[in-house]
Amino acid sequence: MNHQTHAFHMVNPSPWPLTGALSALLITSGLTMWFHFNSMTLMLLGLLACIMTMYQWWRDIVREGTYQGHHTPTVQKGLRYGMVLFIISEVFFFAGFFWAFYHSSLAPTPELGGYWPPAGINPLNPTEVPLLNTAILLASGVSITWAHHSLMEGHRKHVIQSLLTTIILGIYFTLLQASEYFEAPFTISDGIYGSTFFVATGFHGLHVIIGSTFLTVCLIRQLLFHFTSKHHFGFEAAAWYWHFVDVVWLFLYVSIYWWGS
Amino acid sequence: MSLAERGGDSSCRPPRTRMRPLLVSQALIRSFSSSARHHFQNRVAEKQKLFQESNDIPVHLKGGTTDQLLYRLTMALTLGGTVYSLYCLGWASFPHKK
Repeated sequence: MNHQTHAFHMVNPSPWPLTGALSALLITSGLTMWFHFNSMTLMLLGLLACIMTMYQWWRDIVREGTYQGHHTPTVQKGLRYGMVLFIISEVFFFAGFFWAFYHSSLAPTPELGGYWPPAGINPLNPTEVPLLNTAILLASGVSITWAHHSLMEGHRKHVIQSLLTTIILGIYFTLLQASEYFEAPFTISDGIYGSTFFVATGFHGLHVIIGSTFLTVCLIRQLLFHFTSKHHFGFEAAAWYWHFVDVVWLFLYVSIYWWGS
Repeated sequence: MSLAERGGDSSCRPPRTRMRPLLVSQALIRSFSSSARHHFQNRVAEKQKLFQESNDIPVHLKGGTTDQLLYRLTMALTLGGTVYSLYCLGWASFPHKK
């Protein structure tokens, strides 16, 4: 058996970067086939391949860390850097949509009536469901912190309860937001208001779904005894991501729902 | 090489050398508990043994035959899909009577 004389992780050759890249090709070319030629086959093929790639790639990381012991403190530091940098890139992603919103809303054009919200738009009441959604996400921030402390203190049952609470709150948010989308008196094609509203809140909603999925994976891993009180970076990464999602919502609420009404 | 050195035994200690990767998490073993109410038992040690077996199988196939199946299916979908996307490109590049 080979022994390494360094603390880093030299991964086994893996097919997932290739299948991931090819699935991205299939999704993008599939979008073209869908938009222009009304055919969904290529896109669905791409989405399926993408999901399978993600499942197997992350499954392999769990194997490498939890089962093979490759995640030394040095390796974990690298993983932390990686997650932080990824979240920073997501911040920039949302910054673009906030830029677009403020660009259009701070100087409304004559075509909009010269004011914001534009003529003909009835914005959603920020003190109704949007405020409830704010409370839900803030509460989920509390429950995930409870989960983390329980994990560090070794209270298995509390981790499961608080993590489950967080996930349920995330699902509740998603359902409420879906209902708001359905009931809203304006659509994405209602000028720049509709575009900025639905693109910004829509991408946020997608990130809530991604975050909820990440948390669910953590719940499963907790049930399977993967986490220890000292080593649970997967959970921490999910918690960081969840707090990021919460903060983005706060900006959305204040900017688009509240100031923008 | 002894089973303990390879980390296959759940009671082995981590190597003293700072440079060696930790083969078995001691804290994980200490946190073992089975709860009949939740029907979950700590089977991590078994997984650790399976994935630390010295058989030169890469991690994405080391779990068994399901791994092979999933890998082949994923590869087939992506490679087949790539060929299909090139066919679509060829088709879309020419006008077609409505």
